[in-house]
Amino acid sequence: MQRLTGLERILKAVNRQEPDMVPTLEIDIEPDVINGIRPGLSYADFCEYMDLDAICYFDMKGKKYEVVDEAKHIARDEWGALRRFTPATPHNPVPWEPAVKSEKDLTNLVAPDPDLAFRYREIEQAVKTYKGKRAVIATVMDPFNTVKDSIRGEVNIYMDMIKRPDFVDQLNEIARDYHMKYVKSCIDLGVDIIWVTGDYAITKGPMVSPRFTERFLTPGLKQIAQYCHSRGVPCLKHTDGNIWPIFDLLVETGIDAIHPIDPTAGMDLGEAKEKYGDKLCLIGGVDCGALLSWGTTEEVREGVKDAIRKAGEGGGYICASSNSIHNAVKPENYVEMVKAIRDYGKYPLSLT
Amino acid sequence: MAVLDEISKAIIEGEDVKILTLTKAALDASVPAKEILDNALVLGIQKVGDLFERGEYFLPELVMAGNAMTRALELLEPILAKGDTPYVGKFLIGTVKDDVHDIGKNIFVMMLKGNGWKVTDLGVDIPPEEFCSMIEKGDFNVLGLSSLLTMTMARSAETIDALKAGGLRDKVKIMVGGAPVTQQWADKVGADGYAADAPAAVKVAASLVGKS
Repeated sequence: MQRLTGLERILKAVNRQEPDMVPTLEIDIEPDVINGIRPGLSYADFCEYMDLDAICYFDMKGKKYEVVDEAKHIARDEWGALRRFTPATPHNPVPWEPAVKSEKDLTNLVAPDPDLAFRYREIEQAVKTYKGKRAVIATVMDPFNTVKDSIRGEVNIYMDMIKRPDFVDQLNEIARDYHMKYVKSCIDLGVDIIWVTGDYAITKGPMVSPRFTERFLTPGLKQIAQYCHSRGVPCLKHTDGNIWPIFDLLVETGIDAIHPIDPTAGMDLGEAKEKYGDKLCLIGGVDCGALLSWGTTEEVREGVKDAIRKAGEGGGYICASSNSIHNAVKPENYVEMVKAIRDYGKYPLSLT
Repeated sequence: MAVLDEISKAIIEGEDVKILTLTKAALDASVPAKEILDNALVLGIQKVGDLFERGEYFLPELVMAGNAMTRALELLEPILAKGDTPYVGKFLIGTVKDDVHDIGKNIFVMMLKGNGWKVTDLGVDIPPEEFCSMIEKGDFNVLGLSSLLTMTMARSAETIDALKAGGLRDKVKIMVGGAPVTQQWADKVGADGYAADAPAAVKVAASLVGKS
């Protein structure tokens, strides 16, 4: 087969077709790993250097924070919630105090302005530089996760689901309105794919019951997926955790791909391929916990081979880490991972 | 006793208002606080744990049950503290340095209390030296180290190493937990116990003090 561009390779996989080779991308690559491989490169330059098939723009990086407590690294996000930065979460500060602590706080809630130019500068630049060569992907937080992490807080929102479900609907609507506008702007700028982040599950299983998932979580995702499709843009979804009990609900939203099939939560890539490979593209498969952090390069090669063997056949698979390339990943292991994907991922596959 | 069954049921159903009325009524009827703890709260929260393990309960139901139990404990704890009621054991817990996630830890703490443990929760972002100092000064049976990120799992290992260096390792049993933590990793860093979630962790904690 003729050699495809990164964009063509990703789009074929997302459409559950077989490209020239198994594509690879990462939703995020932390600076320690980049600096361990090519010191000083920006994320985009690093994707170019590694010849990854896509460049992803994390919406979390396009947010403003107002410092509240410098010593404790606590800042106010644009929804009015307090978040705490740690060395381990430089772009995704941990929720500390929600914006809406009681129902009466809702009257003071002001959604961020989705149209601020600074949010889109890197995306505009990426579209200009990579359009047609590599897939330019904009990530957007799932509206439910914005409600959970910024607007209402995790414990409160769980109690609201049982005690005051209409209030949850109201908050979801506010978050959805903001995120839909952001998605529209990204597509207007020319991004190739929208990737919705934000977890629906923990290691044990879904955060909330399938009934609550359908009522409170998936409607926002479905709305984004439908809008993306109306604009001819695929929509991917990321969620950690064990999603088996809600996999069908995720498929019903119309998303085109699911990431990362979390192995630490008991998700098996081969089983996902067998059960859902005809409905969705699968992204992930290489354990970024023990394997990429502490494994040897030989073990990483075996891990890549195993992932491609399980999910590569027939296309519809993008090989990636099981979450992201975080700071604890050994740089040499990531280099070996990408090399192994290129070595073993050529179609037709010939893995023993 | 009917009122104890009702208190237990209020926990299972996450009824945080009703449980206050019921617990007050039980105390007014001279039911000993220890009996309310053992025969209502513990039974209720254990049932909640079982339902969670079986995939019938999820985080909202767990949070509601924990909230109801906390309300009842607020009434019982001052009474229990006055008596010489034996605890299952003393548990020291915290989220390790550089990590400030705590929902899983907080659910575990609620469940430990409901199961009769005396718990000291240090909070989040706790450096190894603080854990060491607490272990040195206190008489804790079990130390729980929580980390939600692959990056901060290393801090749990560093804390265990610091305890070893300070000659404190054998003074306490150690449990590790958090989303990326596995049994394999727990064995590697020399922890005594691991569990994938709070209800399972309560059982492991009990086994570490010979009360399973």
